[in-house]
Amino acid sequence: MCASLILIPFISVLILNLPIKGMKRLAFGLAALLFLLQMVAVLIPDAAFWKINHSFCAGIFNFELGADILSKVVLFCIGMVSLVTLFSALTFVKDSDEKFNFINILLIAVCGMNAVAMAKDIFSLYVFLEVVAVSSFILIAFNRDMPGLEGAFKYIVLSGVATVLMIAGIALLVLIAGSTNFSLIHYMLIAQNKSLIVSLAIGLFIVALFIKSGLMPFHGWLPDVYTSAPAPASVLLAGIITKVAGVYALIRIVVSMLGFSASIQSILLFVGAVSVILGALAALTQSDFKRMLSYSSISQVGYIILGLGSGSVLGIAGAAFHIFNHASFKSLLFINSAAVESRLGSRDIDKMGGLAKQMPLTSLTSVIGSLSCAGIPPLAGFWSKLMIIIALWLVGFKGYAVIAVLGSILTLAYFLTLQRKVFFGKPSDEFKDIKEAGFSLMFPAIALAVLIVAAGLLAPWLLKGFILGFVPIIGG
Amino acid sequence: MNYNNLVLGIIFIPVIGALCLPLAGRVSSRLRNILSFLFILSSFILSLKLIPLVLTGKTILISQPFALGLNFTLLADNLAVFMTCVSSLISAVIVLFSFGYVSHYDNQNEYYCMVTLFLGAMMGLVFSANLILMYVFWEITAITSWRLIGFFRDKAYVLKADKAFLVTVFGSLIMLIGFISIFQQTGSFDLPLIKEAYKAQLIPNLIVGLILVGILSKSATLPFQTWLPDAGVAPSPVTALLHAAVLVKIGVYVFARIFIVNITPDILWHTIVPLIAGISAIVAAGAALIETDLKRIIAYSTISQIGFIFFGLSIGNSIAILGALLYILMHGLAKAGLFLCAGIIEQNTKTKDITKLGGLISTMPFTGVAFLACALSVMGIPPFGGFFSKYLVFSGALAEGRLWIVLIYLICAFMTIIYLFRVFNLIFLGKINIEAKEGSSIMVGSVVGLAVLSLAAGILIYYPYKFAQVATWQMLGALK
Repeated sequence: MCASLILIPFISVLILNLPIKGMKRLAFGLAALLFLLQMVAVLIPDAAFWKINHSFCAGIFNFELGADILSKVVLFCIGMVSLVTLFSALTFVKDSDEKFNFINILLIAVCGMNAVAMAKDIFSLYVFLEVVAVSSFILIAFNRDMPGLEGAFKYIVLSGVATVLMIAGIALLVLIAGSTNFSLIHYMLIAQNKSLIVSLAIGLFIVALFIKSGLMPFHGWLPDVYTSAPAPASVLLAGIITKVAGVYALIRIVVSMLGFSASIQSILLFVGAVSVILGALAALTQSDFKRMLSYSSISQVGYIILGLGSGSVLGIAGAAFHIFNHASFKSLLFINSAAVESRLGSRDIDKMGGLAKQMPLTSLTSVIGSLSCAGIPPLAGFWSKLMIIIALWLVGFKGYAVIAVLGSILTLAYFLTLQRKVFFGKPSDEFKDIKEAGFSLMFPAIALAVLIVAAGLLAPWLLKGFILGFVPIIGG
Repeated sequence: MNYNNLVLGIIFIPVIGALCLPLAGRVSSRLRNILSFLFILSSFILSLKLIPLVLTGKTILISQPFALGLNFTLLADNLAVFMTCVSSLISAVIVLFSFGYVSHYDNQNEYYCMVTLFLGAMMGLVFSANLILMYVFWEITAITSWRLIGFFRDKAYVLKADKAFLVTVFGSLIMLIGFISIFQQTGSFDLPLIKEAYKAQLIPNLIVGLILVGILSKSATLPFQTWLPDAGVAPSPVTALLHAAVLVKIGVYVFARIFIVNITPDILWHTIVPLIAGISAIVAAGAALIETDLKRIIAYSTISQIGFIFFGLSIGNSIAILGALLYILMHGLAKAGLFLCAGIIEQNTKTKDITKLGGLISTMPFTGVAFLACALSVMGIPPFGGFFSKYLVFSGALAEGRLWIVLIYLICAFMTIIYLFRVFNLIFLGKINIEAKEGSSIMVGSVVGLAVLSLAAGILIYYPYKFAQVATWQMLGALK
């Protein structure tokens, strides 16, 4: 029945577009309800709900869906970030027709992401990744202005490269394994004992997903795209799309299909560590609010990949927890940047100052988001980073653990710079007429901030069950 | 009376109360101020109630196990209760002083919220017997001190707040690596279990070094001391609270909690730590001699005195540890008094430059006398409390035969006398340069109160001495 998570949004799009009067006004409420339901549905314990197996074409193309705890974490994040995006669109997309279009494309993107989160074979994964990619092109270029179009173009080109690499990889794997199913390929790969062609296929696949995740040194497109996209689209992209299309897909491929080997681990750890440090260093020097957050995203994705690279249950549980944390604090920070942008009309942090007086709630929520991102306890980000660091240390990658620890201090440094320049300074007369952002930006910001604090305080209670949930996945 | 609830109350009344203060501030600023004071006072009173129990040698252990060893473990013994009594008493006086001091600045809601939250986190840190729990509270104190140092919001001030935050977080992250290595070796973050595990083997020196980095950065000891004088840009009650009386003692306390009570490090560290602290003490005393900014002088003096506490703790015999514990009390009282006096002077003369001041004793008699009393206590002149703590630290060190190191500290103690008299002369004696009147009654009352406490702690030394002695015996495992 988990297919309903894909079908219901899709059918909703169809129904909304029926030529009946008044449908357009329903769109917002319907979408909000769907996203909320998705967040609740993750809690359904029934195992039968989360499995579906349907054979379209005997043998090779087997359409199979299933969700383990990793998928559920991602499904929850998809619902959460999409809901937040929906609210922020109320401020930034004024025209009612445009708003309707935005919601439609958002629903299609959610369809695609849900399917990626539950796909159990390599071909469906690829197809739905493309659904997500195409809807993101449109969302990035939604305002049809020059920077948006340019950003969308960059994304199309880079995504195109990734697609080519991926499909080549799939072709080779199907050639070797004779199947697209993750677990079947996994067994075939073990049996094949690593020939050159297998290594090539794996290499193509991993590089493609590195590009999609925006990891260093494949990150060139990411800051440009996040910065030039309209505010709601950047919330969605940074919060969840690149996490699902790149990071989650990478975790899924490594965990369920490739398995861990010394060479894969060393590649993951190296790329992760480089992203953590260089992403944070690059963020330190930015003066554009959204650009700083984009580099911060690269750095945080590095942490997730470090967790994955540890190859242990604890590390992967930490990585999944960090995906959730990243979705919550980075959406929150992008919402904050949207709030500031909506009031000041600018994103240049060098020209801001002392906004805490005019925008107290934006300021408070951004402090919570920043500190969670920097891994300062007792906020949620601390626990996931701690899990990742402990995992790296216990497995024996002590050098990488130290890099992960020191990355936190860089993260804190750029967020303190951001706070100092935007919120935490002397109130300036220039901004004395600025008001707090409207409800549609404040509501999601406050909700996310509460979620971050609550997750941080409750984490010790939840961790045990959470970590145990990952044991069957890593077992293969 | 359930003692577990007492311990939880000491921590969570201020922590949860702090979050309600901004709401109370919307109703009435008076209500908020009084609530803030009451929350902190309740911690003090509840701590006092624990004293009879712990003096008998009993301890209170609260344990709630969680995955990965991230257990919620609290332990109340003599050392912890001694520390909570001292911190909450001084904090309560400081909050009282704040009523007068911050009453005409912006952001008071944030101010009271952060001060109360700080105290709550401090209480949590003192009671925690799990390294990660300790780390969590440790970082909460860092967040609050970041907001409080940047209270005035000037760009230069916020930069210094950021610096304090970054330096202390850097230290604590290094310390976290140390904690994780301990976890790898012993399989636990709980101090009682770690204690058992390290009975069989010696703790590696690398781990001691890593943890020491965190401790030294929080206690502003060389080479991490620079943030403390800079943090003097904060409002005076904040500098008194964070940087003289309470926050900098965190490092000292954690040193005692980890390296005296639970783990015995290599004998090597009995030489290294006094040496680092000694260099730190003498360098800071030198800086205090030439500095002209009043608050920076007192901040350097704090760094210098912290050196004495480390000295006492790291010597390791019972007399020196007893002296160090009393030092925490005496220095807290006296130094908070000095910072608060500096606050009154700064607010009424609009300058912190001691060369521009003079003759204030005639117009600010109470502040002047209180300043002198606190200064005498810091110098270690009998019958003030500071004398006894300094004396015990020295006599403990001499009993171990560490003549060379004692000599460093002796020079340092002389320098303390010189720079504090210099400050007193320049501000209160001589001819009047800037006219100023006495501070408001609540502010003057608080500093006089601290001065009287400093004197009383010396005259009635029997009581704190007795308490600290039991605590020392318990720390060294001699009390059963």
